[in-house]
Amino acid sequence: MGLVIQGGIVFDPSSNWDGEVRDLFIAHGRVVDHLTEVDEAIDARGLAVTPAALELRSPVAGYGQNFLRLWGGLPSPRELGESYALLGYTHIHEPDLTLPTANYVHRELAAIPLMDTSASLTLNLRDFDIFLKNKENLSEVAAAWAYLLEHCGGLTLRVAEPFVRYRQEFYQHRTISLEAVLDILDNILHILDSKISLEATPELLTAGLPSSGRFHLACLGPALVNPEALEKAHRLLAAGVSADMGLLPPAPRSQGSLVPLTIDQDRFAPCDLHGSPDPEAPRRALELALHCRQANLAFSAADLRQTPVSSFPQLFSWLCDHHSRRRFWGEDLAPCSYSLHDWLRSTRSLPAQHLGLPDRGHLRPGARADVSIYDLPTLSWWPQSFNRCRMLLKAGERVVDNYEIVNHTVSKATFYRRTGALPNHIIDGLYAKSSFRPGNLRVHPNPEIHWQKAP
Amino acid sequence: MEARIESAICPGCACLCDDIDITVVDDRIYQAANICLWGASKFLAHKRFHPKKERRRLQQPRIKQGCLWQTVPYEAALKRTAEILTRASRPVIYGLTNSGSWAQEAALDLARSTRARLEPADLAFKAPYYRSLMKHGLFWASLDVIRDEADTVVFWGANPLHSCPRHVVRYSVFARGKFTERGLEERRLAAVDVYRTELAEFVKLFIRLEPGQEPALVQGLLAALTGGKPPAIRGLRRLAALLEEASYGVIFFGRGVSYGPAQELLDGLGELTARLNRGSPFIFFPLTADFNSTGLYHLLLRELGSPLAPDFGHDLAGTGQAEPVAWSEVDAVVVVGADLFWFLSQEEIDRLKKRQVPVVALSPFANRTTGHAEVVIPVALAGVETPEIAYRMDGLPLFLPKIVSTHLWSDSRVLRELTALL
Repeated sequence: MGLVIQGGIVFDPSSNWDGEVRDLFIAHGRVVDHLTEVDEAIDARGLAVTPAALELRSPVAGYGQNFLRLWGGLPSPRELGESYALLGYTHIHEPDLTLPTANYVHRELAAIPLMDTSASLTLNLRDFDIFLKNKENLSEVAAAWAYLLEHCGGLTLRVAEPFVRYRQEFYQHRTISLEAVLDILDNILHILDSKISLEATPELLTAGLPSSGRFHLACLGPALVNPEALEKAHRLLAAGVSADMGLLPPAPRSQGSLVPLTIDQDRFAPCDLHGSPDPEAPRRALELALHCRQANLAFSAADLRQTPVSSFPQLFSWLCDHHSRRRFWGEDLAPCSYSLHDWLRSTRSLPAQHLGLPDRGHLRPGARADVSIYDLPTLSWWPQSFNRCRMLLKAGERVVDNYEIVNHTVSKATFYRRTGALPNHIIDGLYAKSSFRPGNLRVHPNPEIHWQKAP
Repeated sequence: MEARIESAICPGCACLCDDIDITVVDDRIYQAANICLWGASKFLAHKRFHPKKERRRLQQPRIKQGCLWQTVPYEAALKRTAEILTRASRPVIYGLTNSGSWAQEAALDLARSTRARLEPADLAFKAPYYRSLMKHGLFWASLDVIRDEADTVVFWGANPLHSCPRHVVRYSVFARGKFTERGLEERRLAAVDVYRTELAEFVKLFIRLEPGQEPALVQGLLAALTGGKPPAIRGLRRLAALLEEASYGVIFFGRGVSYGPAQELLDGLGELTARLNRGSPFIFFPLTADFNSTGLYHLLLRELGSPLAPDFGHDLAGTGQAEPVAWSEVDAVVVVGADLFWFLSQEEIDRLKKRQVPVVALSPFANRTTGHAEVVIPVALAGVETPEIAYRMDGLPLFLPKIVSTHLWSDSRVLRELTALL
């Protein structure tokens, strides 16, 4: 079926289209150069046409996140899917998937309608500590990680604790420092020819990162616990490190009364789902994002409990509109704001790049036809217009029309990385420690999930 | 023809042991290795407490005509069920803790469309737990982490040998973990119960209480841990010392806590866990017995935002109800994945019968409920004769493939077709 979006004002930072009036042709779910015949035409005159957005960090499906709903901290999957779609998103990425929780995460993601999904395989370096200590083993570790990535249905690699530490004294000899781990990771990533996300922490910002360009700093906001951390983050971004913002609002006054909510996933420190960021971290995160808007800094919110999808328009307005910042924060925080071009880059192009999805985040021929269309009364008033999507197409299918969801059952897929790696003795050791037999840890037999290999 | 299936998953209890090796001969399970009696009750259809007796499988749907049973096709049984549900003003869909996740999802849809209440079979056990979490917080870990880390294990109102027999071997007592390489030798164990159970044979400390004394013991432990003066309960100080010395602990509580003042007790245990967590990590973990009870609460929490019993007759949002349903108000019951009449008192059963409340039972086996039901719909065994998803008690889902074939419909299919009929 051929479709044309006629006369729209097209914005696509990665194609350098900054408000060009042009027609966009779509066939078989992809953007094409031209069509001589079309079955349907969408009149987009006077409307802004952009690539659909991708959420780089949407911690909605990790092990234990469901418990947040007890405190109203997470909407239902249906509400989540609809909220994202109405903002112009077609893809969300869960940052935390592990070998034992892979089935869990994918099942949770499959329950979110409308959105394509993917997840990062979070590596627990304690599982590999003995092998990491010897340089000769690194190619085997790399092969094991490549195998796990495909086996768990992950799209990218992530490390939440870039060090090896144990609470048990008996295991202290296995400790590997953060600096040593960064070097080791760099070597492994060189073998894999891949990138990895590291969860930002003050310690990591202080240590700095190898200059290989293989590291992505995830969720900077909560790590900005003091001015030094902010300064370090500035330097890293200026040096070209890729990162995402991890924006968050100031903690509400009731924060103190929150009960603990801890999930132990066999890491050095159990995960606290409620978290308790530094009170000044939200302001620093926003300052950093504003000052580094030209850098390799993608949009992300710290977590969906503090920054639900419904609050994204507020976060966008802080980035893009100094009046909004002055109203909320009482000051400008930075002399500059995000232009439409900057904002689209941080919510479309950069997330697609970081996730390694080359056919997303742009509208060049060959791209998947994920298109969001917004009203655009005037170019100077754009932040308010982009808070609700007038029309959303997903692979050429209409999902949102006239600001309403019109297709609740649009097809969706879970994207994973095919590596073709085979299990080795490291994987055998990992399985031996698990209470599950290997066959039952596989994610692929689940018929509920529509898998799609990442291009 | 003989086939060997390795690493099958057992739907016998919420351990979902996945090391079951099965021999199938001519599409019948001939042998199953590594199973416990609970597993044998599913794979080999043995009675749980009488392993030499077979459980009677239901083969044909049947409906009651007057005092007589009439065998009917599935379509007729569904039509009769649909009539019952259409006439009812206060229907209840009960059970589901022994059903797969797809059946649970179908039951939730059915409850929505018939404006029914969905009553999990173990609500009296789980509702106080979730309310306690909301007050005192969540301290959670997977069974693998517990096996690897926990050096102090307390069973409270729980007897894993009866509710989930291989739990002690695979995760909590005898299992060898990463930091508990010597298994039982590395762990300090305690149990609290109102009866002397088999646990007394191998735990370091067994505290036998009088019924109703448990909240006092919890308050006493809290007092002992905070330097106060605890009441004189035998074993209290030793238990307090055991908890305090833990480097990583877990409190497994079982259905026993629901036989007394459940909310008060679980609030106390929640508070105790929160207090203990100021020192060392302590996990507070319900020892679920039914094989997919965890999946049901997970589904309710995910879809409705509350793990309590949704009542769509109350409002369409399905407000969660913590109190068990008042059977005196109910005018139709669909029982799936549970044996309701096993749990009801004789008085309640008599009252339901006197009011002629129609009961529809979906079950693979004959049980007390099917004996009283107006409509009996046999279903395939989830995870044995039909593929399903089930959540282990720590919330990790597993895909249970089909092992042998059957002419029976799955419960998810029955429920979906019933919803379509309505």
